[in-house]
Amino acid sequence: MKARPLGRVLLLSAGAVVIAVVCLFTFVCMALSSVKSARELYAVPPTWLPHSPTLESYRKVLFDSNVPRYFLNSVVISLGSTGLALGLAIFASYGFARFEFAGKRASQAFVLVAQLLPTSAIIVPLFITLRLLGLVNTYLGLILVYMILTLPLSVWMLTSYFRAIPVELEEAAIIDGASRTAVLFRVTLPLSLPGVVAVIVYAFVTTWNEFIFALVFAQDSRVKTLPIGIAEFTGEFNTDWGAVMAASLVMTLPIVLLFFGMQRLFVGGLTAGAVKG
Amino acid sequence: MTGVLFVLPALAVLALLIVYPVVNTGVLSVTNEQGAFVALANYEAVAEGRLTATAVLNTIYFVGGSIVFQVVLGTLVGILLNQQFRGRAFLRSVTLIPWVVPGIVAATIWAWMLHSEVGIVNHLLTSGGLVNRSVGWLTDPDIVMPALIAINVWKLFPFVAIMVLAGLQTVPNELYESARVDGASFRDEIRHVMLPQIRPVLISVTLLLTIWGLNAITIIYTITRGGPANRTLVMPIYIYRQAFEAFAFHQAAALSAVFFLFSLVLVVLYLRVFAVQEGRP
Repeated sequence: MKARPLGRVLLLSAGAVVIAVVCLFTFVCMALSSVKSARELYAVPPTWLPHSPTLESYRKVLFDSNVPRYFLNSVVISLGSTGLALGLAIFASYGFARFEFAGKRASQAFVLVAQLLPTSAIIVPLFITLRLLGLVNTYLGLILVYMILTLPLSVWMLTSYFRAIPVELEEAAIIDGASRTAVLFRVTLPLSLPGVVAVIVYAFVTTWNEFIFALVFAQDSRVKTLPIGIAEFTGEFNTDWGAVMAASLVMTLPIVLLFFGMQRLFVGGLTAGAVKG
Repeated sequence: MTGVLFVLPALAVLALLIVYPVVNTGVLSVTNEQGAFVALANYEAVAEGRLTATAVLNTIYFVGGSIVFQVVLGTLVGILLNQQFRGRAFLRSVTLIPWVVPGIVAATIWAWMLHSEVGIVNHLLTSGGLVNRSVGWLTDPDIVMPALIAINVWKLFPFVAIMVLAGLQTVPNELYESARVDGASFRDEIRHVMLPQIRPVLISVTLLLTIWGLNAITIIYTITRGGPANRTLVMPIYIYRQAFEAFAFHQAAALSAVFFLFSLVLVVLYLRVFAVQEGRP
């Protein structure tokens, strides 16, 4: 490589350091605060490194609070909604990727619009409907409303993965007498496995992090999810910041592990245009 | 016809979950608690509502302020991440952290770091001599919105950076080389090679950020609940409060309907840009 001007190298290094600090600082702060004692947390001036690290906050969060239950609720609801959406999306995406039919363009546009619409604009009628059906404060209710988030993004992402599989591979199987469904499950789906994994991770993370639907549709601790649990900790006047930080770490860890475990897939899916905030 | 059978179940579920509530919002917005048709009475009540203008202005402030910094910072970081240097892969991963961390977690950490008495940010500023009194980041009515915008920028600039990075990676090397042969400086390269190439990316990202920004509630609701003195009351929080704290479902529906139509315009705009870029719907 050619030597680069010194000014540019300095600028680059300074920028890189600033970015790393800005992105890591909060995370480190959370981890450190979660192992500080109550007295140290409220010390003025604040300390950097914990003087006497303690797992007290974790003990409180794991044994004296609803967080384990909320964790379980989050897992059940996220898995349920991700799984249902994936099941439906596998068929729909295959239909979009491999067939021409009247109304295809309109349906695809509908899926994209659905993916982008603001959730807070439909929350009132959704609540009224769920209350009518007796689905407020149930796993099923939350799983269903979360499909508003997971289904469009799963369909959209999977369609682009299916499109990337050469049709010739399927044609060979069809000549051998396989049905379209058999082709889908024996040929196309196994070949799209990385795509399927990306869809699962993305849908799971989206529901795991979701806040406003959970706030409205889960008002009972039997179904409340982790975001609501953490908001409850901070909502009171006496915030137990140590416990909040410990609970936040417990909630973040699975996401970070999932994400960095599959970063390559994830970013690929993201830039394919399949995103929902 | 086989194709239709494949897509029908998913479309039916989506229609049930989205089309029905949307239609229902429209119906609710023109009826009262007894179900009687009241024409535009709810819309009038909303338009006259003391807080409606506040919510609209706050939303514009929050979304506008966020986007400017998200796009500018995100673009700069994206360009930086595209350079060759040691530790680039590490920095690319680290940059994703704010975006990956759940919104609620980002909100609580920042609330803690910006705590006016024991927060680390005030400690850094006062001990560094930058300010002589603790700043009430989340309690001072004039500072709280910029503080929330800063948190939102922190949360989403990585998304812009990654999209810009992906855009830059499609720029053919020859373009840089010919620019260098012409004696272009790094700044010229950014202005005449990179920016024109990532312009489509920036347009679609800006629209996407606008759509997300309008819908943003997690960070604001968790940190301030719309306060102090309604200074951070944005549209989603206003709708939530009308519906689930004031129990004015029909007025909340009127608000939702207006909000929905406005968002729909942006979504359609985004899809048009997206379609032009992808060369398909």
